[in-house]
Amino acid sequence: MKSTKYSDKVLDHFRNPRNVGSLEGEDVASGRVGNPVCGDLMEVYIKVEDGRIVDAKFQTFGCGSAIATSSMTTEMVKGMTLEEAMKVTRADVAEELDGLPPIKMHCSNLAADALHEAIKNYMIEHGLAMEEDEEQTQIQTTEIKGKEEFIGKGISERATNFDDFRDLRVVVMFTGEESVETAIKLTEYTNRVVLITPKRKIAVSDELNRRLNDSSVKVITEGEILEAKGEGELEKLIVHNLDEDTTYELFVDALVTME
Amino acid sequence: MRSIYMDYQSAKPVDPRVVEKMSPYFTEHFGNPSALHHVGDVATEALERGRETIAGFINADPDEIIFTSGATESNNMALIGYALRNKRKGNHIIISEIEHISIHNIAKYLTSIGFEISKVPVDQYGRVNPAKIERRIRDDTILISVGHASNEIGTIQRIQEIGELAEARGIAFHTDAVAAEGLVGIDVRRDRINLMSLSSNDIYGPRGLGVLYMQKRYRVNPIIIGGGQERGLRSGSENIPAIVGMSAAAEIAQREMKDETKRMMGHRDQLIEEILNTVPDSHLNGHPTERLASNAHFRFDGIEGEAILLSFKDRGIAVSTGSACSSKTLEPSHTLIATGLIHEEAHGSLQLTVGRFTTKDEVEEVLEAVPEIVTRLRELSPLYKSR
Repeated sequence: MKSTKYSDKVLDHFRNPRNVGSLEGEDVASGRVGNPVCGDLMEVYIKVEDGRIVDAKFQTFGCGSAIATSSMTTEMVKGMTLEEAMKVTRADVAEELDGLPPIKMHCSNLAADALHEAIKNYMIEHGLAMEEDEEQTQIQTTEIKGKEEFIGKGISERATNFDDFRDLRVVVMFTGEESVETAIKLTEYTNRVVLITPKRKIAVSDELNRRLNDSSVKVITEGEILEAKGEGELEKLIVHNLDEDTTYELFVDALVTME
Repeated sequence: MRSIYMDYQSAKPVDPRVVEKMSPYFTEHFGNPSALHHVGDVATEALERGRETIAGFINADPDEIIFTSGATESNNMALIGYALRNKRKGNHIIISEIEHISIHNIAKYLTSIGFEISKVPVDQYGRVNPAKIERRIRDDTILISVGHASNEIGTIQRIQEIGELAEARGIAFHTDAVAAEGLVGIDVRRDRINLMSLSSNDIYGPRGLGVLYMQKRYRVNPIIIGGGQERGLRSGSENIPAIVGMSAAAEIAQREMKDETKRMMGHRDQLIEEILNTVPDSHLNGHPTERLASNAHFRFDGIEGEAILLSFKDRGIAVSTGSACSSKTLEPSHTLIATGLIHEEAHGSLQLTVGRFTTKDEVEEVLEAVPEIVTRLRELSPLYKSR
């Protein structure tokens, strides 16, 4: 079956998604699942009154079925109690949509998971459940395998001569404000600058954060560099995606470690 | 609903002039070239005329042309056939990171039967640096295979430089020229190409026919064994109507390429210029200048390619994307990843390829649709916060 062979209902929800947007307020909670690196990211918002979901909204980055399942999930849960909504499964959502192509059943059908996250968050915020231990996020401490081999051949501690980076694909490791300044400055010399951190976000001053957002720097969060590879010079990095616990290749010309 | 086709890279219509030339070979001149009677002779004549025309199209000799069932088969013959024939000389083969998927999968197969494959990375525009090939050459390297141009992002390689490098080191050089044929002048002598794959449909000929160009003194093992057609290199009765079609297509391409690529470049440049100007946070994938006349390839921050494709489909516009969500494997395009993009960026790509029958009106209709589609999908996206 073609991966885009969708039912009329899926297409209808893709074309006219219901409940797009976000919600705010004390009786509102949200859940976020997926990771843009793997192609789908969904946020579901619920508004709860007397233990019932009275409104639900979503925002989704993803393919046609990701959008349709988000839309359908928010439609289905309106009026449900939190308990009922907790029982809504991916299969229920797919069934309401008259089915999904088999290959899409897993990856693009995360809306039920986002809904469950939102419910959990609501319960925690309202003292109805205990908070789970937050994983400790850290700056990268793992040694990059193969690093020594490429020092001076693509890997440097600091960007001393910015002209050396002209038109190269540069990755800068986030170690604080100075690394962000370096990344921003590099964009004057090349259009491909990536700032990478194992943390969930880049924590710097508001002013610097604004400048980072306005720049063309591409930020990778929850990414840890495991290994440097190349033939005589740095050519690619192996990156561990901490959120999904997967690894991927990032093709680069230079790495600035900011140690 | 009106239908607009902007996916010439995935399939091309057969030129009506080609269909006309082919027609008698289905009914009147149906003979088998192996047969010795007069009906067979007519087929033999068509076969050899076809061989001469294709040879002329790439500046080769007719006996360097082997007809196959398509470029995938040609790639199989060139890599597997050459590797098996020459394994006593060595078992190391170099390919690039942005080859067509068929080359990557053939390389995987060769690894499984004991050959070693090195992959050469590309720069951020998708170009192979010959110095990086050189660094991978070993004493036991027998073959280098680098595609003439990328079928996805349209980047054209420095084929002559790579050919000269391979020649100087005494290594065979194969190029998959499918994406480039008909858009770039191909000259196997000038570019020092020893083996080359071509497809009929990519020059507006019929499907089901390809060519392996194999320079004299180069040898491959056949991978299809049978009645010994094509000097024993490719058995099976020759597909005469398709051969007549491909040679008619090559004649047209040779005659009209200059004007045609000029017209296509006009469409391409209009697409690139206006999309980059009107859509915020949009980027061009591939090389800014060294790219096929047909290819415009973009990515848009914060949205996903399959959703883009479906939105175009709703407007009767056929396009393509490098997104994982539209592929069979759910892996994003290896080509976009090789240029240094992360998955999230590769997911947001849109490939527009124009062709022989693209009109200015169609380009304008697509240009009208792009910002509307991108804006709508960004409104749904948690990733895109407009600046």
